[in-house]
Amino acid sequence: MSAVRNLRAAVLVLAVLLLASCGATTGDDDGRVVLRFQSLSDQPAAIETSDRIVAEWNRTHPDVQVEVVQAGWDGVHDKLITQFNALAAPDVVHYEASGILPFAADGYLADLTPYLSEERRADIPAGVLDSVTVDGEVVAYPTAMQSYVVYANRTMLREAGVEIPTGPTTSWDELRAIAKATTGDDRYGLAWGLKDPTAAFMSLSPGFGGLFFGGPDPASPQITVGAAETALPELVADMTYQDGSILPVSLTQSGSKALAPFYEGQVAMTVQGSFQTANIAADAPEDLDWVVLPPLAGPAGAAQAANPQTLSIAKDSPHVAEAAEFLEFFTRTGNLAALNEADGLIPATVSARDELAGRLGSRDGWDVVLAGGRHLTAAPFLFADRYQQWKETVATPAYQRFLAGQTDADELARELELGWNDIAAY
Amino acid sequence: MSPMRVLARPAQYLALAAYLLFLGFPLLWLISASVKSSAELNSLNVSLLPQEWHWDNYAQALERQGLISSAWNSLTVALASTALVLLIALPAAYVLARMRGRLRAAGVGWILVSQVFPVVLVILPLFLVLRTIGLTDSLFGLTLVHTTYMLPFALWLLQGYVAAVPIDLEEAGAMDGGNRLVVLRRIVLPLLAPGVAATAMFSFVSSWNEFFFALVLLQSPENYTLPITLKMFVGGEGKVALGPLAAGAVLAAIPSIVFFTLMRRKLTSGLMAGAVKG
Repeated sequence: MSAVRNLRAAVLVLAVLLLASCGATTGDDDGRVVLRFQSLSDQPAAIETSDRIVAEWNRTHPDVQVEVVQAGWDGVHDKLITQFNALAAPDVVHYEASGILPFAADGYLADLTPYLSEERRADIPAGVLDSVTVDGEVVAYPTAMQSYVVYANRTMLREAGVEIPTGPTTSWDELRAIAKATTGDDRYGLAWGLKDPTAAFMSLSPGFGGLFFGGPDPASPQITVGAAETALPELVADMTYQDGSILPVSLTQSGSKALAPFYEGQVAMTVQGSFQTANIAADAPEDLDWVVLPPLAGPAGAAQAANPQTLSIAKDSPHVAEAAEFLEFFTRTGNLAALNEADGLIPATVSARDELAGRLGSRDGWDVVLAGGRHLTAAPFLFADRYQQWKETVATPAYQRFLAGQTDADELARELELGWNDIAAY
Repeated sequence: MSPMRVLARPAQYLALAAYLLFLGFPLLWLISASVKSSAELNSLNVSLLPQEWHWDNYAQALERQGLISSAWNSLTVALASTALVLLIALPAAYVLARMRGRLRAAGVGWILVSQVFPVVLVILPLFLVLRTIGLTDSLFGLTLVHTTYMLPFALWLLQGYVAAVPIDLEEAGAMDGGNRLVVLRRIVLPLLAPGVAATAMFSFVSSWNEFFFALVLLQSPENYTLPITLKMFVGGEGKVALGPLAAGAVLAAIPSIVFFTLMRRKLTSGLMAGAVKG
């Protein structure tokens, strides 16, 4: 009898669980327009700021309500592929240019050109607007950006007799010289977390004139890896193996991991994404006297590829006009300044950058970081349809082999080109 | 007693201790990381014991990302999936193990073939089917998906246990006057307890940890399961809230540990106990 009782109990529990799992339903819009905004904000302060902006919109627009759907960055690409293919995408999609542009090429994003106000268009630097423009159509509002900057231990630089750069830019030659001068006694000049080297090299290569992708047909870009494209990896390899001025283990670590030796005084400088400013301010030992060096510049200038975070609208949304109006509201100067301050990022509009610069001044090197935003511009790799596939399956392993000393620059160039041609052929 | 035999037992215990340490170290490290400050986690001075206990990570994990409701969602889906898997797999496994002929071969073939397809291949058609019947963004839909996903392996696992039960026992039960139902309930089912426990543990843990289906199928934050919520501690631009993530992961491991503890005894006891008197 006990077996029967147990079976009955199990069936009862199962029924309760299934009923409980049936409980999730979607909301009712009561005849009003309800926009679903899939947000990827991850910092508590940024989530709070985003929610505040949405609440303000909802208060002032009772007929068009916005519902925030919080999602995570990890796996979002797979989620979006399914959502777009199944025509189940949210109305407003938060992502980044390099990730969202392939969806635009496949026709999943609304053309925002007619909705982008003149005020906003004039406020977004041309190079940044280019990074979200496909076939002449603006497919996203850029919101936030990061650049690669050098954080330096002022005490270690002074002890090595190095003059800290104060000009408009820091040349790569200067960086190499400083790294060399501060190396010695189990100390290294530089830590650079290059576990995922492709993003860093692609972003910084415009400073060397490296474009990687081009050709007459934008729909099928061709790759060229010449001296300009391999200049930066070669510089890193030379600093590591010839000068011995880069902490070797850092080349295998993430950017965050490469901060630890900087905090401990094992390295004098570290190259990081500018978003780390807030983390360094919070986590660095109190006695660490650190400074952000002026933007890095190569022979072709201080340009870096902009891969801004973006807000797009699904083409299948029944409320494109209302969603575009919401984006205009969301990207107002005060809103973008507050969001980027919370996220530790660089606003994509000049007015928001100026507002933030006025508010933060030179605190924690924000003035230098924000000034670096001027050099961010569109890069051809953003528009190469299969860039993500090439990056993960070809470029990153090829760069890792090169940095490990297993291949030379010619072999690196050959691997990058052949790998792209193989991918592009299918 | 030879010196070799005297040394053998301590050596065995030493090897066991080393093995346990090897297995348990990641968990210890996770617990350690969950009570360290961000500054200490970014320090080169690595130690298992934190310099300063930083319980705030747990508060952040609990407050920031809706961890409790996600844990409840995960628990609901995992328990319901486990129950459904057992309810379907147990009789099916018995039939597969005892039946002979083409249907059995087809059944076994289906189990093997169903394991071949990668998840990413089926997700889009699955999403479309579930959307048609209104089961995307639903824990019930996710429960059905988890059940379907785990069923082949559960069947495979259980039919092995059924096959190991001697048919003689069932025949003896029938000889003693028991009908098929009585034989199954009184003789076969108790002997399958370890198999049922193993299958339940496998199903529960698989569903509890499952990420991809939940990521794609669930759209509303109030329906998110624990793996989705934990992944949200990993931000854009490589930002990771390591302390709160570790704290969340420690909390997330507790139900699995409790479930394992409850099922452990079933797993190890009763295997053929008393079946055949020697």
